[in-house]
Amino acid sequence: MSESGAGEREIDSFAANSALLRVGTGTLAGPLLTRVVGMMLARAECPVDRLDDAMLICDALGAHACAQSADGHIEFTVHTRSGSMELRVGALAAGGAQRLIQATSLPGVGAVLEPIADQVRVEKSATGPGEELVLDLGFGRRASQASPNGTRSAPGEPAAGGPADQSLPD
Amino acid sequence: MSPTAQAINVETHDIELALPARAENVAIVRHAFGALGEAYELTEQMLSDLRLAVTEACTNVVLHAYPEDVEGPLEVSASIAEDQLTVVVRDHGRGITPRPDSPGLGLGLPLIASLADTVQLGRDEAGHTEVRMGFSLRHLGESPSGGQE
Repeated sequence: MSESGAGEREIDSFAANSALLRVGTGTLAGPLLTRVVGMMLARAECPVDRLDDAMLICDALGAHACAQSADGHIEFTVHTRSGSMELRVGALAAGGAQRLIQATSLPGVGAVLEPIADQVRVEKSATGPGEELVLDLGFGRRASQASPNGTRSAPGEPAAGGPADQSLPD
Repeated sequence: MSPTAQAINVETHDIELALPARAENVAIVRHAFGALGEAYELTEQMLSDLRLAVTEACTNVVLHAYPEDVEGPLEVSASIAEDQLTVVVRDHGRGITPRPDSPGLGLGLPLIASLADTVQLGRDEAGHTEVRMGFSLRHLGESPSGGQE
């Protein structure tokens, strides 16, 4: 890791509710990412069911992102706004974003990222070669994918609507 | 060598966290170091001392690094090599200078010095102010602080 400080580019234009986490390949990505994202979403008054969804995404990305790294490190950039969060994962090797999406799929369940996030897209890395996986997670008036009885619907099913559909934490 | 130190030697990871230098973000750093400690199975006392030292250094950045109307970054990095955990808290502010009007009690740096095995105050190659703390993973849990916060 560079001693000059990660986030040189990002920090210069940091919004108030942003964080950059850079980790070497290994087992730390998941635990650290969940802590950072959890704190930021809690501060943004994210409902607990969507917070749970975000933790699931973080666990999945933390477990698999480092294997797709372009340079041996992974940067997670988190931006929270009113009612939404953007999570960028980079820099990934060419094709790494799609491989990461596939790697996070669960046997018998299927894709994890796409059904939970409002948007999943691949962008070219802004800082060099490679690409970034970008996930948008809304938590405003949009309800999570939970049924009124507190059970989670299967990924891929349409999201339920209305505050009454928010589930209790798992 | 303790089992903890042996485990840490097996895998070496670097982390770096960059946030706006705001008081509420100190909690995020502290929380992240909790994850670091759990991942490496640090003892409760080791983790407590580490988090306290890092919290003090980050608080110094929030309080002193930037003028009140200027927002700048708070950067924290950690790396482990053999039996040494090195934590660097960095800012892009005005440096460490005597401040008669300081809102704090002036206990931050002495506290860090008592918790860390080594402390270096200085600037990196880019001229950014940094506090570099070294923690011996063999002795971290034996600090006289007793892990009290």
